[in-house]
Amino acid sequence: MKKSFRVVSAIAAAAMVTTALVAGATASNAATVLTISSDLPLQGSSFDSNDSTNKAIQLYLKQIGNKVGKYAIKFKVYDNATAAKGGWDDAKCAANAQAHVANKSEVAVMGTYNSGCAKIIVPILNQAPGGAMTMVSDANTNPGLTKVWNPGEPDIYYPKGIRNYARVCTTDDIQGSAAAQFAKSIGIKSVYVLNDTQTYGQGVAQAFTTEAKKIGLNVLSSGSYGEGWDSKQSSYEALFTKIAALKPDMLYIGGIFDNNGGQLVKDKFKVLGDNTAVKMMAPDGFTGYPDFNKMPEADGAYLSFAGLSTELLLKNAPNGAGAKFVKAYKAAYGKDPIGSYPIYGVAAVQVILAAIAKSDGTRKGVTNAIFSGSGITIPANQSVLGKALVISTLSGDTLAKDITIEVVKGGEETTLRAWTVK
Amino acid sequence: MKLRKSKTPKQSASHKKWTIGFLIAAVIIWVFYTYIMYNLPDGPQTIFQNWFPPTTINEAMVWVICALGLNIVVGYAGLLDLGFVAFWAIGGYTAGWFMSAFFRQVNIHLGSPSDAAKLPGIHVTFWGVLFIGGLICAFFGIIIGAPTLRLKSDYLALVTLGFGEIIPQVFTNGENIAGFNMSNGTKGISPVDNISVPGKILGPFDFSWKFAIFVLLTAIMVFVSLRLRKGRLGRAWLAIREDELAASMMGVPLMSTKLAAYAVGAFSGGVGGVAFATHVNGVFADRFNFSISIILLAMVVLGGMGNVWGVMVGALLVAWINSTGLPAFGDLVNNTFGTSINFPSYNFLLFGGVLILMMLFKREGMIPESRLKAILHEADDTTSNVGGAH
Repeated sequence: MKKSFRVVSAIAAAAMVTTALVAGATASNAATVLTISSDLPLQGSSFDSNDSTNKAIQLYLKQIGNKVGKYAIKFKVYDNATAAKGGWDDAKCAANAQAHVANKSEVAVMGTYNSGCAKIIVPILNQAPGGAMTMVSDANTNPGLTKVWNPGEPDIYYPKGIRNYARVCTTDDIQGSAAAQFAKSIGIKSVYVLNDTQTYGQGVAQAFTTEAKKIGLNVLSSGSYGEGWDSKQSSYEALFTKIAALKPDMLYIGGIFDNNGGQLVKDKFKVLGDNTAVKMMAPDGFTGYPDFNKMPEADGAYLSFAGLSTELLLKNAPNGAGAKFVKAYKAAYGKDPIGSYPIYGVAAVQVILAAIAKSDGTRKGVTNAIFSGSGITIPANQSVLGKALVISTLSGDTLAKDITIEVVKGGEETTLRAWTVK
Repeated sequence: MKLRKSKTPKQSASHKKWTIGFLIAAVIIWVFYTYIMYNLPDGPQTIFQNWFPPTTINEAMVWVICALGLNIVVGYAGLLDLGFVAFWAIGGYTAGWFMSAFFRQVNIHLGSPSDAAKLPGIHVTFWGVLFIGGLICAFFGIIIGAPTLRLKSDYLALVTLGFGEIIPQVFTNGENIAGFNMSNGTKGISPVDNISVPGKILGPFDFSWKFAIFVLLTAIMVFVSLRLRKGRLGRAWLAIREDELAASMMGVPLMSTKLAAYAVGAFSGGVGGVAFATHVNGVFADRFNFSISIILLAMVVLGGMGNVWGVMVGALLVAWINSTGLPAFGDLVNNTFGTSINFPSYNFLLFGGVLILMMLFKREGMIPESRLKAILHEADDTTSNVGGAH
């Protein structure tokens, strides 16, 4: 008797749980809730910057009441890094891509941080059943994702023949060129180029080398993207001893700080001297790292950023949407956004939201809103970037060609000037 | 099997049980992911997507294939291998070379799927590449095996460790070998061709098809492992594992027996590598680091060295914890208690702790091989089923 009672009550409990689950599901179906997500590496040394990006997006969505047009917006965070790798992980990127597609209410993705990861995710989103899902990146600067670059690019990333990838930052080819032009403007005659042997590092080093040769700088390194540094090496003194013999005016480091950039900069200081003796310049792969800025060896290093730095945004439009947002961020979290990517993350979300507002609330609709008709333009008075943001309907790239030149001073990135590529 | 009735009938029965169990589990999972999961209401579906997404299941199957290969080297022949990731990498790059538009300078198509027909490069059918990858790895297995024949235990482990470090470095830096781009450096090779089965090309969302293929590959590896284990070669491996000197005195040819273990194990690693490349749709040099070798070894040791079923369970469990289990558990805890603990970062602490506990209390693994258990527990009779080779 007792036993059968227990069985009955167990069944009843199970039935109740099932009903609750089903009821919960139907309730969420009733409202037009659309999910947008971010897909960033949340482990390893780029955590600070990307965590700040997620916080900025959450704040922005809260400011607009979590809705756009007739849709309520939910935000979901994905992590494309694993602890074992200490950074983005290819298998995790592939798994995330599948998860984006499987999550029925998800209409668009903000991300990724690393171009390599985007190259895995974009083709999968492109083939999503029911229509391609769009990803808008705040930080992918590799040109091959949207432009003719390496053989087969960019078409290999779009198997369905339609575009579903946009970005709000400028690309490495523009950033590398700007860096070379800037170097010439401060009187540099000869440069030695290094790269971290990765997609991003080589891309930006190649653009720098090409432009430097074109404008008459003496490039002392050989090859089209300079010499690679091995991120697993424990010392680079031998490398710099070799470089010292060539007496360059400036060292250009195309790569990411994560790839043992700290040791590289230390050894540069040890062998070549400080950044007044032999100047040093690095691309945005070295921006947004408090660890780098605080190194005494980094003092005086020039950095370029593919877009306008937060500081410059505030200066250019002190009463604009961007400046207001940065103030709100500081009020909400007690400190400034880390690096300049968080603001670009919000800009990418603005593009996604504008596309959702123009769409029928489906993935296909969102993709079409960005890549067909008049496309997406965020007017200057709304854009957190302080000026109008126009996304090309053909390539998905931003039409802006702004680069910020920064210099590390007193342990912080400070803006030197804006540079528009000639 | 029937010829040797006197031999451990209990074991055969247990293998039969496990085989049936494995097949039933595979069919249930396949039916669930093909027909049931996507028709569930959103709530339960989200739970499954969070805890058991189909990509994780497929990735875990790849780990199983590689772990089964390592089991032959470590579990059967007792040769400690700390560089198994090398075979995974070679298998992956074989897929990159033979299933993509990477070598644009040539235009070779052998049974490639129709969607790759217009692309330049080498496009061989997935099934062919499985064999090519396996064979290339077996070849490298023999190459690594040859110089280590005179080494034992720690020294052998060091050489394999070196091998496991060298091969990925070759791929990482293989972008410009006298002007020839072998591996595309850290940029990797992507995308690779889709798998084609008669009448269908498997796109990125055909999980259940891929799952079926991975299960088939696993089943083949299990079959090969079990048959080899029973045969002359398997008994010779065990003899070497237990006492190399005694085995050689009894006439076991050490060289060919050890090389065979490396070759067969490496073949499996190659197959796993090709399967993984189709799973992530590319091959990236960054992935192939030392921790992969260690995780594979942990799978074999935790599961039960020498027992294919134990190794399979160990691999599934560890792969799941690594990719989904721990992050999902972390989300659950953080969402419930409002904390923000980064659970995945405790991955290695957890593995380390579990390994130590296992070594203290259950050295033979979760599902031990009966023989190994007998030895480790110094049971009275270990001679009854010693399969000496002659």
